[in-house]
Amino acid sequence: MRKTRVFTHSLLASALMLGSVTAYASTLTVSSPQDPGSWDPIDTFLVNWSSVATNIFDGLTYRGPDLKLVPGLATAWEELDKGSRIRFTLREGVTFHNGEPFNAQAVKFTFDRLLGEEGARGPQASNYSAISEVNVIDDYTVDFRLAQPDPVLLTKLAGYGAMIVPPQYITEHGDEHFNRNPIGTGPFKLADYTPRESVRLDAYEDHWAGAPKLSQVNYRFISEPATAVAELQAGRVDIVIPPTIPIGMIDTIKNNPSLSIVSVASPTVEALRFNTKSGITADERVRKAIIMAVDRDAIIDSILAGEAQSIASFQGALSFGYDPELKPLPYDPQQAKSLLKEAGIKPGTQLQIDVRGNDSTFGEVAQVIASYLQMVGLNVSIRPYETNVLLNDIIPAGRTGDMFQQKWGGWTFDYDNTAYLMYHTGERWNPYDSDPKLDKMLEEQRSLTDQAKREQLLQFIARYTQDRVLEIPLYNVNALYGVNNRVQNFQAAPDNRLRLNEVYIAE
Amino acid sequence: MARFLLYRIFQAFFVIIAVTLIVSFAIRLTGDPALMLSQGAGSVTEEDLANIREALGLNQPFLAQYMDFLKGLLVGDLGKSFMGGISVTELVARALPATLALAFTSLIVSIVISIPLGIKAATSRGRWPDQVIRILSLVGLSFPNFWLAIMLVLLFSITMSWLPPSGMEGFESFIMPAATMGIILTATNVRLVRTTMLETLNAQFVMVARAKGLSENVVLYKHALRNCSIPLITYFGLQFGGLLGGIVVIERVFNWPGLGTLAFDAVAARDYPVLQGVITVLSLLIISINLIVDIAYGLVDPRMRKG
Amino acid sequence: MTTQSLSGNNQFQKFKNLEFILGALLLGSISLAVLFSSWLFPDGGTQINLAMRLTAPMTELAYPLGTDPLGRDILARVIIGSEISLKVGIYSSLGAVAVGIIMGLISGYYGGFIDALVMRFADVQLALPFILLAITFIAVIGGGLTNMIILLVISQWVQYARLVRGSVLALKDREFILSAKAIGVKDIRILFQHLLPNLIGPVIVLVTLNVANNILLESSLTFLGLGVDPTIPSWGGMLAEGRTYLQTAWWVSVFPGLAILLTVLGLNLLGDWLRDTLDPTGKTSV
Repeated sequence: MRKTRVFTHSLLASALMLGSVTAYASTLTVSSPQDPGSWDPIDTFLVNWSSVATNIFDGLTYRGPDLKLVPGLATAWEELDKGSRIRFTLREGVTFHNGEPFNAQAVKFTFDRLLGEEGARGPQASNYSAISEVNVIDDYTVDFRLAQPDPVLLTKLAGYGAMIVPPQYITEHGDEHFNRNPIGTGPFKLADYTPRESVRLDAYEDHWAGAPKLSQVNYRFISEPATAVAELQAGRVDIVIPPTIPIGMIDTIKNNPSLSIVSVASPTVEALRFNTKSGITADERVRKAIIMAVDRDAIIDSILAGEAQSIASFQGALSFGYDPELKPLPYDPQQAKSLLKEAGIKPGTQLQIDVRGNDSTFGEVAQVIASYLQMVGLNVSIRPYETNVLLNDIIPAGRTGDMFQQKWGGWTFDYDNTAYLMYHTGERWNPYDSDPKLDKMLEEQRSLTDQAKREQLLQFIARYTQDRVLEIPLYNVNALYGVNNRVQNFQAAPDNRLRLNEVYIAE
Repeated sequence: MARFLLYRIFQAFFVIIAVTLIVSFAIRLTGDPALMLSQGAGSVTEEDLANIREALGLNQPFLAQYMDFLKGLLVGDLGKSFMGGISVTELVARALPATLALAFTSLIVSIVISIPLGIKAATSRGRWPDQVIRILSLVGLSFPNFWLAIMLVLLFSITMSWLPPSGMEGFESFIMPAATMGIILTATNVRLVRTTMLETLNAQFVMVARAKGLSENVVLYKHALRNCSIPLITYFGLQFGGLLGGIVVIERVFNWPGLGTLAFDAVAARDYPVLQGVITVLSLLIISINLIVDIAYGLVDPRMRKG
Repeated sequence: MTTQSLSGNNQFQKFKNLEFILGALLLGSISLAVLFSSWLFPDGGTQINLAMRLTAPMTELAYPLGTDPLGRDILARVIIGSEISLKVGIYSSLGAVAVGIIMGLISGYYGGFIDALVMRFADVQLALPFILLAITFIAVIGGGLTNMIILLVISQWVQYARLVRGSVLALKDREFILSAKAIGVKDIRILFQHLLPNLIGPVIVLVTLNVANNILLESSLTFLGLGVDPTIPSWGGMLAEGRTYLQTAWWVSVFPGLAILLTVLGLNLLGDWLRDTLDPTGKTSV
């Protein structure tokens, strides 16, 4: 209590100093690691865009923290013409923040823009390329014509590029204005945006789902994790969103009586992938031995403080295509040794692991892995790269060491998004391997409209990658939120798309 | 004299061109921003990438991009950020005052500490106050500054709840970052003040002032200090340039909304225009400060004109 | 008090000795640690023991300074880590001084176009903010020990070049150089046998201070995640690792932090002492 008072005082003091608005109890402050720079849905694929923009915009569908797809701006939908057309019935009486009405025209405008010239300049268009055309049937009915089946389209309509934007406003003010002054139908409207520093949202009282309980949400951009946590401890930030909180600071937050860690399984999975083309890891037995030499559960329990789940393939339990029956290869250093011997690997053989230099948690994981491998006679060197260099130059060009870190996760929670990009011949993330059988299965599942069959095939693919030992599946990490206990009704979103309309602050 | 001035300005011009050329070129070696912007966007085709590159103007040859940048620079337009198309001039214009304010405060902190300490050290030369002051100021110089910053945050923001841990909002938020930067400068400045004072204290007019029976403080702070002010101000001016470059790490720890934070994030995002803009503006500042100091020296001391 | 000479005072001498004694003591113990480190800790401080992770200091006999998040002995790592820090600090300063001396000598002795060119290079170098240059540079060529040393050499030869050039300009019209030239001594001999010994004092001072500074820069870069391989114990790396544990396990970053502080302090004390001994005119004072 005392702390809260100190906090209010210092806030008051600083507010007076700046001459800005006094802080109300119903203002929530969130620390986010990055400013996306533009709030236009077609411009970005940053999760940190969506953690703010989820409150500004609505999609036709909505997917909350429970990952269930429910009606958003569309109240109902049905598949027509054997899945090549989807008809949406739109919600009536919805208005954008500027009073502009939401209707079929707005939907058509949104997707024409996304799939047209403006969209091509951003990264979003390619995710929606399954849509060939949007037809207005009447004011509150639209048809989506599909060029090819897309099993995850309805999910994709709940976020990112598919957020519905106001046609009149954009036509009138232009794209550039819209980047910084976005207007949507969401529960909060943008009030003030200082690039690279903060963005403030005010409640939109006329939101179709009812007025939000908070009157204001203030996002501060803080890239340094320890700084964000310090702000949380000082009571100047209420929620620190992922992927900020380092494992090492979990106890710091837990030890503070007014703060909590809220964790939820995220889409993010970590693996060490192999160079299957050359070097000692070209041998399947060696790859298997490397996996068996590493006690992955011990890593999760100690280094990751239990905030992760072990995985058998490159996906987490929430992923579509996950098979609970598929078990990870066991930890068995003895068998690892004999496999290495069988493959003719001499003790002391060198092995290089490439990692992201700024990922301190994985740095520790990699060192523990190195020491496990040491125990079966492999000499490991760890090579840190600047993240973007690793992702843009080293991996796609096939210039990695014997193993390299891959951190992956798509907000759609569909294994297709991982498997196709990781294993299909010629994909950016697959510099070494080429397996015609795998290619064929990956292509086949994309055209299946029967979701049960597709799930089965995806599960088979997962099993196949395990048999071929294409990577060390390490773990599926939790998304960690640091939350002040005065925040009520908070539900951690696995995908960072944090909608705050139900959240309020205890007096 | 005119020739010297022209020569100096011509040199500065050369340096600006070289600096911007190096920076623009180097950052373009660090990776493709189109890939950055489309990361995680699922299956990205070469066509998607080409579209993004075209929208960013990256399909132009390097020299054309560089010339565009120079043209913009002449009219104060540093281009647009790749992250959301925000004007770089606007970003820099907002961040520069924050960095300047912090650098300036740090310098002031350091001067305020070093002048009395330096004078004390000079007047007690060789005795224990001199020893303690010099060794302590060297201790300040020997801290890894980011570590010092973290420790200060731990002590004053978290344990004591006195000061805000980050951001720039009012006087309080300047205290820790300015102290961190200031402490590092203090060792150099104490030494500087001490040496300059030692020379001055032996001068005729100080003897005269003393002989007149003026109090020691008046002699030291009014007469002697005033006489040292020109060399000291010159040194401090030069330091200011160095400070601007060294402030990046501190800005990051304190989430200071300055050029360092801006540049650091720009490298991570491969935001060429922002990084280019920040380094150009910083370099311009440093070059101008050096130029002014050089010219001032040239005016005072003709021997320096040889360059 | 009225003596004009900076070292003519008994008390002053005593103080200078104190500075020297402190500095020598610090550096001496660090050198001893480096010398005996591999004998004291044959496993190189890399032995991971997850069961003992984050053990507090003075609770386990085997780990007097506690353990880090991977259960490694902090005492061993701090001592082994001295090697990396000193390596980076010393090699980079020696590299910079070698390049700087050659450039400075040539530039000052020959003058003209070469001089202008070298000095403009120096200006460019000085106008580029170091950390930003470092971040960009490492993004291009990657991190690691060698790259870091190269980076530090590139960014620091300038100060030596300027210092040496200044001294050469002051010396080259002096009698002994002119007469050497007159009797036909080769340029290269004049440069290295006649000029160099006369300007080496300030250079040595600068090197000492530079080693100190480079150790700090190395730790900053490693702290920012741009430095050496994390499996090699380095002070900067340990600080970065320990940062997130600062409030729950202070020892993880406090001991390497102290190690940096004491080493750099030792070098700074010695540098300061050397400066008063070798460079009383204060060429290296800024």
